Amino acid sequence: MRIDYRIARPIELSASFEVEGFTVLLGASGEGKSLLLRAIAGLLPAQGEPYGGLPPQRRAVGYLPQGHTLFPHLRAWQNVAFALSGPHRRDEAMTWLQRVGLADLAERWPAQLSGGQQQRVALARALARRPQLLLLDEPTSALDPATRDDVLAELVAEVHAVGIPTLAVSHDPALAAMADRLVLMHGRRIVQTGRPLDVHAQPASGAVARLLGLRNVFRGRLAGTAGSQHLIWPEAGVSLPVKTTLADGTAVDWHIAPEAIRLQHGGTVPAGTIMAGVELPQRSAYGQYAGLRCGQARLWADLSSCHAAETVRLSLPWPSIRCWPA
Amino acid sequence: MSRSRFAAGLAALALLLLAAPFAGLVLATDWRHFGFAHGDGGAVAVSLGLSLVALGLIVALGTPLAWWLARHRVRGQWLVDALLLLALLTPPLAMGLLLAAMYGPYGPAGSLLERAGLVLTNSAPAFVMAQFYAALPYYVLAARAAFESVPRELEQIALTLGHSPARCFFRVSLPLAKLGLAAAVALAWVRALGEFGVVLIVAYYPQGIPVKLWTNLQDIGLSAVYPLLWVFFLVALPLPLALGLAVRRRLA
Repeated sequence: MRIDYRIARPIELSASFEVEGFTVLLGASGEGKSLLLRAIAGLLPAQGEPYGGLPPQRRAVGYLPQGHTLFPHLRAWQNVAFALSGPHRRDEAMTWLQRVGLADLAERWPAQLSGGQQQRVALARALARRPQLLLLDEPTSALDPATRDDVLAELVAEVHAVGIPTLAVSHDPALAAMADRLVLMHGRRIVQTGRPLDVHAQPASGAVARLLGLRNVFRGRLAGTAGSQHLIWPEAGVSLPVKTTLADGTAVDWHIAPEAIRLQHGGTVPAGTIMAGVELPQRSAYGQYAGLRCGQARLWADLSSCHAAETVRLSLPWPSIRCWPA
Repeated sequence: MSRSRFAAGLAALALLLLAAPFAGLVLATDWRHFGFAHGDGGAVAVSLGLSLVALGLIVALGTPLAWWLARHRVRGQWLVDALLLLALLTPPLAMGLLLAAMYGPYGPAGSLLERAGLVLTNSAPAFVMAQFYAALPYYVLAARAAFESVPRELEQIALTLGHSPARCFFRVSLPLAKLGLAAAVALAWVRALGEFGVVLIVAYYPQGIPVKLWTNLQDIGLSAVYPLLWVFFLVALPLPLALGLAVRRRLA
């Protein structure tokens, strides 16, 4: 489904992109992502397709705002049945609750449900309306970190099962990782779209790299011409050898993966070696990183054997450094 | 500890001050010769019956206004606010005079309505009108606050779930504003029932309880005031008390 919307107020914003399967619109806070969803739902004056000009009650969308907002005066099943009518509305609501795995909690009040459970009830309520398009606003915001990935995986699986195109807006890279399609927004414009695999392989800019949650995205400037080009990194007060096709003096955003950074031992010091202090070792389920202090900058590296307060010598191999014009 | 005891002391003092006049009533009532003056029963019937009609009108017209005020921001809104404040501010006696000037037999609206058969001086409709003007601004302000406390987002969700704005109002806004609206109804009821100044000017007849208290005092004396006052409390208190208790219970 193609989305093409223009908002004039409270901020100016226009967006045009394709929604397929579970699509995530990734953007920083304040980009107007929530406004875009409200515009598509008909809750904000805007021009665009689909549903242009229709009042909200005539738009076939299922809208889940941030925090899911169940009706507090209605039980779980009554919330789901809100969009339903006729003598079988209770049975129908129970069927939807069963689909999201919450039939046992049908008689609970919203205040008696966890964040994840509320989200599933809100999803069931939105699906019961039989929408053509699902709109999710920051679906990860009210979730418990410990169960978040499971709740999200279930949400995405459910969305796939019902086969309704879904647009989720978020600033959370963890949600983006589960998308069928990514749409990236920066400076109130769509700056890149594509499959997560392709976007991760080729981020279109430093801003996209930051949105994707990549560590080690910095500002810098290129000096010298091809063959003897250097990347000046003012925050750390060093310059690194690089090879790019960009012109001398170009301001750039650049990135190096933590895994690409090498620890230097021994006496010979190759060009581009920098000194860094180990600030904090970080160990999590996802790996082992060290936060390193280089001048004013913090560099993350995948170092298994280092200790806090130790000073280390690092090399940042030029083939692993990616530069984008800033 | 001592600070909380100080606050409790102040609260007790306030309660004591509130209770003092009613303790006086208990002491001043001549319980051995407790009896009613001629026409007291009629006054009770007038007050109760016509106040209910006034309350119905206030709720029917005040609720849409309160909702509109809570949900819309328009240019010149301060004029509406000023109008509500003006209605609250006007001394009851002056309000009665203004109503008489407008709806009285020589007033521009009064003469027209009289030709249509609606007499708004010393009549049941005049009594209802006086109470309506006395209590409407209180109801509107309280009901507006009640609607403002309903999260707008919930109303919008209800719209996106395919309901018309009217159905959303009855299924979401109204139930969620219920507690505040109950308080507004209770407030309007006590305001309407106890109104003396406006009623005195435009609806001396039919005599409701507040005016009858006045005439009893003039014609007979204090001994005829207290028994009617006891009855007044008895009939006026249950509705706001029950509404207030219901609200407290829901909040707890």
